[in-house]
Amino acid sequence: MGTTASQLGKDLLSEYQELTFLTKQEILLAHKRFTELLTKDEKDLPNVRVPMEKILTLPELKSNPFRTRICQVFSTSIVKDGSLTFEDFLDLLSAFSDSATLEIKSHYAFRIFDFDDDGTLDCGDLEKLVNCLTGETEDTRLTPEEMRQLIHNILDESDIDKDGTVNLSEFQHVISRSPDFVSSFKIVL
Amino acid sequence: STRERIKAIRDLPMSFQEKKHIRLFRTNITGEFVYKIIIHLRTLVVLKSTPRDYMPWVSYSVSLQFLRRCGYSIRSIRQTLELWQGIMKEIGGKFGTSVLTYFLFLKWLLMFNIFSFLVNFGFITIPLLVYDISPNIPPNVGFGGLEILTGAVSGYFNYTAMYYGGYSNETLVDLVEYNMQLAYFFTIAIYMVLCGIALITSMANSFKTNYMLADQVSNSAWQLLCSWDFNIINERAVRQRKNNLSVQLKVNFVQYKPFQFENILFDHIGIHLGSWLLSTGMAVGCAHQQPFLCPLSLQNTTDASNWSLLQEAETLLVPFVVSSMNLVVPLFYSLFNKFEQYSSQRRQIYTLLLRNVLLKMFILGVLCYYWMKVVPQKFSCWESMVGQALYRLVIFDFFFLMLGSFFGEFLSNMIGTKFLPRLGVPEFDVARNVLELIYAQTLVWIGIYFSPLLPAIQIVKLFVLFFIKKVSLTHNCQPPRRTGRAAQMQTIFIALLFFPFFVGALSIVAYTAWRLTPSQQCGPFRGLNNTFSVVGIWIDGMEDNPGSKGAIWIYDNVIKSEIAYFLGTLIILIIIYIFWQVSQGRKHLIGRLRQLIANEGKDKSFLLEKLQNLQKSCRHKKQKQKNRNKVHFYRTIC
Repeated sequence: MGTTASQLGKDLLSEYQELTFLTKQEILLAHKRFTELLTKDEKDLPNVRVPMEKILTLPELKSNPFRTRICQVFSTSIVKDGSLTFEDFLDLLSAFSDSATLEIKSHYAFRIFDFDDDGTLDCGDLEKLVNCLTGETEDTRLTPEEMRQLIHNILDESDIDKDGTVNLSEFQHVISRSPDFVSSFKIVL
Repeated sequence: STRERIKAIRDLPMSFQEKKHIRLFRTNITGEFVYKIIIHLRTLVVLKSTPRDYMPWVSYSVSLQFLRRCGYSIRSIRQTLELWQGIMKEIGGKFGTSVLTYFLFLKWLLMFNIFSFLVNFGFITIPLLVYDISPNIPPNVGFGGLEILTGAVSGYFNYTAMYYGGYSNETLVDLVEYNMQLAYFFTIAIYMVLCGIALITSMANSFKTNYMLADQVSNSAWQLLCSWDFNIINERAVRQRKNNLSVQLKVNFVQYKPFQFENILFDHIGIHLGSWLLSTGMAVGCAHQQPFLCPLSLQNTTDASNWSLLQEAETLLVPFVVSSMNLVVPLFYSLFNKFEQYSSQRRQIYTLLLRNVLLKMFILGVLCYYWMKVVPQKFSCWESMVGQALYRLVIFDFFFLMLGSFFGEFLSNMIGTKFLPRLGVPEFDVARNVLELIYAQTLVWIGIYFSPLLPAIQIVKLFVLFFIKKVSLTHNCQPPRRTGRAAQMQTIFIALLFFPFFVGALSIVAYTAWRLTPSQQCGPFRGLNNTFSVVGIWIDGMEDNPGSKGAIWIYDNVIKSEIAYFLGTLIILIIIYIFWQVSQGRKHLIGRLRQLIANEGKDKSFLLEKLQNLQKSCRHKKQKQKNRNKVHFYRTIC
């Protein structure tokens, strides 16, 4: 079980192909990039867990505003520290791949935007989301007044049952009307 | 089936370990795990309805596994054959998805041309070459200097397989009987039909996934936030995107803009009207010049075989003028655009696109009119002449595209950084570049009938253009300031490609085949009244064959009769009307369901409030009861 040394067994490869949306090339490339992150003695151990800091050195994730959230969502570690095994890494690439369905992508997008992991997007989550996307410098950040107005607009438009939060179905409803989502929610190695 | 089961498992948004567990149906499932399955009830239904495999290694029959492995290997092979994947990723990483659509569109057009070249070469040119390797060139013709540019009016090319005139009209008898006339006609016809079908299906797919809704839905804040482009890897590009997004959010959704009705109406209508008049005037003026230029180059002789060098150079005048107009006039349109104020950026892009499309359509329309009406009367082998004119247009368009890249991007960059820093580094104008690609492809589509190997030139042109544009982009341009709308622009481009450009090209070719008399001395259709009569002759020839009664009946009653087309159109219109009504009904249903959900929410909050009030009053009552008991107790003691 798990990956050993530098070769992926044929059975394992076909299992990965069946249960993820990746093709054989993508899986092999992912394996190569993942093993580059391991230290020399880690390379022989099966089921290695790579800490989040090392994952975030990958160029595809390095400048992404949601990089920590992505690692935390896809991590299956018990201590919730964002470390990924190879299979978690494949999960990540599969959800962000070209052939993943809209439902999978919107499900994971919802979990990534849900900063406090409570299953809904409330005002705090939305505020953190906007801050993530608008930059860190003083002049690009929104003032509290602007933030309040913006969140009010967002909830107005997407909160259908008017409970002050956006749950998964409402989020998926908004996504389904956004044609750019599928092509922009993509990370390719 | 196992395949459906595996697909259902793959679609579950769970981690890999959990999916493996479901697949092998282990018995040590935890409670949380079952809960996760239950919330994906739909998948559970699929899993339930497919046969349960307790011993998976037995149930996977060899053939099914083999088929599935084949499917995966086909997908892998397709991926390795994908052209330019590394470059696409680099461009997408730095400039985002909207600029990437230009390069994807270019690749798509390249595939069209490769297919067309293979088909034409295989079915038309190879039989000719096999049968008659040396083309029958008259003895006094050589390979001169301007040949490549002019398409060799009097020279070598005219008699080769490059143009219509080089093809024979005989039935070639070598190993098998090969009817050149039918082959030529059917190859071109079937290629155009396949192109049309490919365009229609991709347009329909595009509409389905990226349907263009009204402004208020696609312009909302949520859309901007959800469409963060994860493709962008370059750190500077990410920072720039964040800044742009922040500006967009602040301008569009946070600040309150007081709406001044009268000013907008009166100031801007004048400017809009003026720009439209000017642009239409320029387009018509350009198009109007063509008839004066064309005869200028053909005045002296109608026999094309011995033209002097000067006359050959004169033939280059028309493509030069046309291409330079195509380069210069859109720049004027962009200039007008800067003076006008638009309520939304989308309207700005649409207006610019519309003006450019009108300009190109006018020019092409006049050229085609000239080719259809005047050239057949003047020349003996007129199809080759038209083919050569198109060849010259394609070549000059190529040169001017490179020149346009120089002006549009390199010079703008120089001006923007060194001389007028206010303008800044230019952005890559996707709309203008895509329109140029569409125009180039239309020329090839018109020219396929007259010059079957024109797609080969287009393949080379597109290949070189890809690399030129990529270099120009990376050195001269900055990422676009406004995010989003890549999907909608893609839909518009495909729709533009199909209608009016493809339909226009198809109607030109159809008109040529139907109405115009083929030239008497050259080409595969010499001696016939019109091209389409080839099919008639073939059907007549088939009457001796007893088994083809069905084909003859179909030809007589369906293809030749007008009633069949009328009935077919009527049926299609009825089906469209039914689908439209169904979609209207669904829209109403969606509105009503939204209202239902909103009401449920109100009910929920009402009930919660009532519950809270009830709890409060209960506590209050209990408190009162306690107080009363205490007082009673003290009273009894004292």
